[in-house]
Amino acid sequence: MNKFGILMQDEFKRLAKYNIIQVSLGVTVLWLAVLFLIGRNEAGAFIPLFIFMDVSMMTMLLIGAGLFYERQENTLKTLMVTPVSTPAIIASKIVSAVYIALQSTVLIALAGHFLFDASINFFALIPFVILIAVAHAVIGYLVSMHVRDFTSMIAMLMLYMFIFAFPSIFYAIDMIGGGWETLLIVSPSHAAMLMIDFSFGAEGIGTLTIIGVVYLSFLSIVLMRFFVYPKYIETAIKE
Amino acid sequence: MAETIFEVKNLAFTYPKNGVQALKDVSFRVEKGEVFGLLGPSGAGKSTTQKILTRLLKDYGGLVRYRGKNLREYGDGFYEDIGVGFELPVHFSKLTAVENMDFFKRLYQKNIDYSSLMERVGLGEDKNRLVGEFSKGMKVRLNFVRALLNDPEVLFLDEPTNGLDPANARIIKDLVWEFKERGGTVILSTHLMNDVEELCDRVAFITQGVIREISTPRELKIKHGRREVRVEYHENGRTKDKVFPLDGIGDNPEFLEILKDGSVETIHSGETSLDEIFIKVTGEEISHE
Repeated sequence: MNKFGILMQDEFKRLAKYNIIQVSLGVTVLWLAVLFLIGRNEAGAFIPLFIFMDVSMMTMLLIGAGLFYERQENTLKTLMVTPVSTPAIIASKIVSAVYIALQSTVLIALAGHFLFDASINFFALIPFVILIAVAHAVIGYLVSMHVRDFTSMIAMLMLYMFIFAFPSIFYAIDMIGGGWETLLIVSPSHAAMLMIDFSFGAEGIGTLTIIGVVYLSFLSIVLMRFFVYPKYIETAIKE
Repeated sequence: MAETIFEVKNLAFTYPKNGVQALKDVSFRVEKGEVFGLLGPSGAGKSTTQKILTRLLKDYGGLVRYRGKNLREYGDGFYEDIGVGFELPVHFSKLTAVENMDFFKRLYQKNIDYSSLMERVGLGEDKNRLVGEFSKGMKVRLNFVRALLNDPEVLFLDEPTNGLDPANARIIKDLVWEFKERGGTVILSTHLMNDVEELCDRVAFITQGVIREISTPRELKIKHGRREVRVEYHENGRTKDKVFPLDGIGDNPEFLEILKDGSVETIHSGETSLDEIFIKVTGEEISHE
């Protein structure tokens, strides 16, 4: 097995040991339970929202918490003195975050398809979820590396949710009007929401979805190259 | 002639964020098979030097050659050659000691059977316990095992015995000696004089980012030590002591008289400790906390 494969395998083992995979599965089960409680007629409307919250918010939280543990345990630095490149180390963590997001998405979407008659374009949903998870993992990394303690990390993630995620959720459930759409387009959360809605057959958002894809791709690359990567090295060395 | 492992010339480093110049014109060589010590107080530049030599810090001035080749030209394969023992614990607390070692071991092409080493450092019975349950001393010993996992040729150790009881510190020192005996090279950062005296072939005194002196512990003692002999002797029912210059002591009538008298209780050459020599050379003290 090549070194990236070993890193991935070890990353999954570690995520399981730290109960991160189990917590993610638990949250997915919670979403499914809520869908059953909502009932067959209404559940279809909530499935994209739950997938959005899981893939964006949960990814940020889980990857942020994982990295925070690693910072506390000084393990970032010791990985830096192994014959594995830093991009491979970061990539292994992002791939594991994507896996967790996909695991939840697939379970919720399959339940939506078979139990709640939701119309889902899986060929759009899966690549979109991968992109959304990558972008939010990168944001989660960034937040986690700029805070001193766990409480600050939770506070920062909450702040992010208030500024970016909640307006999109309010927009999705018609709590705020269409006039906000122009402003919301700069929000990674809104781009994510558009992409998920598109996968669930929402009409008239094709152009906005393409803009969202380009925006999240660009944002992930820029944040990774100019902020996360140098900050990761700085954080690891400072340990 | 021994192979030069590291050749460091005019090394300089300034931390970009706070502008602090951590290293100024540092030069030294480390030969194959030697234990080279970097001795200095906190903030002296020991860790910065070690971070540069382990390729963690890259924006440095000056030149570092590893085995004759510019260190900047090495890729990640460089880490197959070296083992790094950090001062602070660097393990996943929710994994067992064995799981931690397996995690890191698989990243190297060459590695050792670490079980016997774990036994040796007294972790054999605890190898299947979560590292989070380990004491600080146990984590320090596990750090040492981690550093040797890839059977390195060069070992970087940062305060390897700090926080260990004398018995466990002895085990670590013995293992460092055995590593050296097998031809390994060790670069040791420490503020503990005892480690330097026992382990180092040569030591560099470093303060404020500048190397003040490089020599063997013995030469330092000879060069900077007090050349004197202190005698405690019995006279008129009381214990007295007197210090004599070592030079020409064989012709010193007072000293010879005391010896002839047979009233000598103790006699010591005036060996200066490395602590005292460090203060004399650098004008600074090392905290032993």
